[in-house]
Amino acid sequence: MKLLKKIARFLGSMRFALILLLLVVAACTAGSLIPQGETEAALLARYPGAFGKVVTTLGLGNVFFTPWFLVLTGLLCLNLLLCNLVRFPKLRKKMRRYGVPDKTIAVPEDAPATREPERVFAQMGFRKVETTMLGGRRVMFAAKHRCGVWGAWLTHLGMLIVILGFGLGQLLQQEYTVYGVPGQTKQIGDTGYALTIDAFEVALREDDTVEQYTAQLTVTDTATGETQAGTVCVNEPMQRFGLKFYQNSTGWAATAEATRGDKLLKRETLCAGEYMTLEDPAGLSVLLRAFYPDYAEDATGKPMTASGKATNPAYVYMLYYGEHLLGMNLLQGGDAITVDDITIRFTDPKPYTLIQIKRDAFVPLTAAGAAVLIIGLLFAFYLYPAELRCTETEEGVWRFAGRSAKADAVFQERLTEAVPRDPGKEG
Amino acid sequence: MYLDIENALFTCAMGLYLVSTVLYFVFFALKKEKPATVAGWTMTAGFLFHTAALAVRSIGAGRLPLTNQYEFATGFAWGICLCFLVFLYKYKFKGLGVFAAPIVFLVIGYAAMQSREVRALMPALRSNWLSIHVSAAILSYGAFGVACAISLMYLVRGRMAEGSFFAGHVPQRDRLDLLSYRAISFGFLFLTFVIVSGAIWAERAWGSYWSWDPKETWSLITWIIYAIYLHLRLSRGMRGRSAALFAVIGFVCVLFTYAGVNTFIPGIHSYA
Repeated sequence: MKLLKKIARFLGSMRFALILLLLVVAACTAGSLIPQGETEAALLARYPGAFGKVVTTLGLGNVFFTPWFLVLTGLLCLNLLLCNLVRFPKLRKKMRRYGVPDKTIAVPEDAPATREPERVFAQMGFRKVETTMLGGRRVMFAAKHRCGVWGAWLTHLGMLIVILGFGLGQLLQQEYTVYGVPGQTKQIGDTGYALTIDAFEVALREDDTVEQYTAQLTVTDTATGETQAGTVCVNEPMQRFGLKFYQNSTGWAATAEATRGDKLLKRETLCAGEYMTLEDPAGLSVLLRAFYPDYAEDATGKPMTASGKATNPAYVYMLYYGEHLLGMNLLQGGDAITVDDITIRFTDPKPYTLIQIKRDAFVPLTAAGAAVLIIGLLFAFYLYPAELRCTETEEGVWRFAGRSAKADAVFQERLTEAVPRDPGKEG
Repeated sequence: MYLDIENALFTCAMGLYLVSTVLYFVFFALKKEKPATVAGWTMTAGFLFHTAALAVRSIGAGRLPLTNQYEFATGFAWGICLCFLVFLYKYKFKGLGVFAAPIVFLVIGYAAMQSREVRALMPALRSNWLSIHVSAAILSYGAFGVACAISLMYLVRGRMAEGSFFAGHVPQRDRLDLLSYRAISFGFLFLTFVIVSGAIWAERAWGSYWSWDPKETWSLITWIIYAIYLHLRLSRGMRGRSAALFAVIGFVCVLFTYAGVNTFIPGIHSYA
C-alpha cells in the first residue's frame, strides 16, 4: 500500500511533470525537423547511417502517432489528474483560510498604524470589510481574490480537458472528402448522406488572384430523402445533419469524350488525376494527368500556367491498355488522341471543388478545456489572494498587517505607502 | 502613394531606433545620464513614427498589416517597443533601454530586409481571427522580448558593484527578477491565447484545429519552455540567475518560432 502511494505521489509530482514536458519538447523538436509521413525507405535515403536507424526505430518520421508518444501523453494526463486530485483539498483549505480573522496572520505591536482604517482598505483595493471583536479588541479584516488560489489548478484542469478532447477527437472523429463539379452528387462515405454540388465559383480579383472559393451544396439523407442546402467558403464552413463541411481546395476538371466515328462511346467529367475506362474496347483507359488553364513554358521549358483563367487550355494525358502504358502527351486546342478507330478529346475545362467533411463530437470539449485553461492563467497571474487586517489599539489607532500569496514584497511596499508609521503625522 | 508615405515613416522609425540604441550605449559606456534621457525620448518618437507607418499601411491595404513576414516583423518590433515604453515610463529605470533598444532595432532591421509589397489576401487569411491571433502574438512576443532584456540586465547587474553608475539606473536584482516574471506571465497568457485563437481559426479555415504543423509545434515547444519556467519558479522557488537564463533561452525559442520556422521548415504557415 505504501509503495502504491509512493508511486502515485511520484506520478502526480512536479518532478515527473517536468521530465514528461522535456520529453514532449524533444519529441516535438524531432517532429518538426524530421519530415513527417514519409516511408521508412525515404527516411533511410534521406538520413543514411546510424541516425537513419534511430529515426526509423523510434518512429520519428511519424512521431506524433507512435505508441511511445501516445503513452507519454497518457502519462502527462495522469500526472495532471493526480496532481489536481492531491491539491484539491489543500487548496480548498487554503482558500477558506483567507479572510478568517482568527486564522489570519497576527498584527504585531509595531505594525504600521492609522486613524483612518477604511481609507487604507480602499487604497489597497479591499472593498468588503468586516468588523469583529477578537481578544477583547475591535478587528477589521478583509480578503480579496480568494479564488486566485485555484489558478494553477484550473490551468491543469484545462490542459487535461484539452488533451483528452484532442485525443478522443483524433480517435473517434469521422472525416471524408468529396470532390466534383457542379451538378454531381456523391455519397459521403458510409454516413448515409449524399452531397450534391449545386454551384462552385472562384471569385478572382482584377490582378487574377483568388478572392474566395464558394460552393453551394445540398446534403441529402438517403434514407428519408430529407435535404438541407447551404453555402461554404474558405473560413466559413457549414454544419448540416451534424456534419461540418469545409471548402478545402480546388483543381481543374474537364469533359473526356471517346468516339468511334460519329458514335459516342463514353463521356465523363474527369478531375485532374482521374481515369476514364472504356468498356469497348475493354481495358483502354485514359488518365487526365494534369491541366494547365493558360498554358505557357518557363525559362527552362517546363510547362506552367500564365494565369488562373482557361484561356489557353492544355491537357496532359496518359493512355493505358490494362496496366500497360501506351503513351503520354500534351493536348492543346482541338488536339485529340487517336487509337485505331477511337478518338478521345478533352473539352469544357472547369474548376472542381474539394469539400472536406468532418464529424468531431469532441471539439466543444476541447474548446471548453481551452477556456478553462485561459481562465486558470488569468486567476494564477492576476488574482493574487490577499488579506488585510487591522486591530484597534488602546490609543485609538489601527495597526495593520496583511499578506499576499504572490509578490508579497510588493504588497508590503504598498501597505507601507498606504499606512504611515507614525499616525500622529496623518492629515 | 500609401507605400511611399509608409516607407518614409518606417525609415524614420528605424533611424530613431538606431539613434536611441547608440545613445543607450553612450549612456552605458560614458556613464552619463543625459544620453539615456534623450534615448528614451528618441525611442518614443520612433514608436510614434512606427505607429503612423503601421496605420498608413493599414489604410492603404484596407486591413490590419498582420499577414506576411514583413508585416509581422514590423508588428513584432512595435510590440517589443510598446512593452519597453510601458516598463520605461511605469518603472522609470533607464538601464532597460541598453538591452531592449538593440532588440527592437534588430527586429525592425529584419523587417526592413523583407518585401514590403502589399499583397491581396489569400482566402484562408481573410478572417477576423487572423487579426486577433496575430495581434495577440505581437503582444506576447513583445512581452517575452522585454522579459529577455530585463533578464540580460539582471545578469549584467550581478557583475556590477553596488553604488556604481549603471547600478544606480536599474532596480535591485530582486525587483528585476519580479519584473521579468511579470513580463513572462503576461507573455505566457497571451501565447496561450495565440495558440487557442490560432486553433479556432485553423478549424474554420482548414477543418482541423491542430495539425502538428511546424509553426504550431514550435509554438507548443515555446509554451512548454515557459510553462517549465513558471513551474520551477512558482513551485520550486527558482529565482535569480537561473530564472534569467531561462527567460533568455525562452526568447531564443520565440525567435526561432517566429523567424526560424518560416525560414528553415516548410509548412502551412509558410506565408506568415
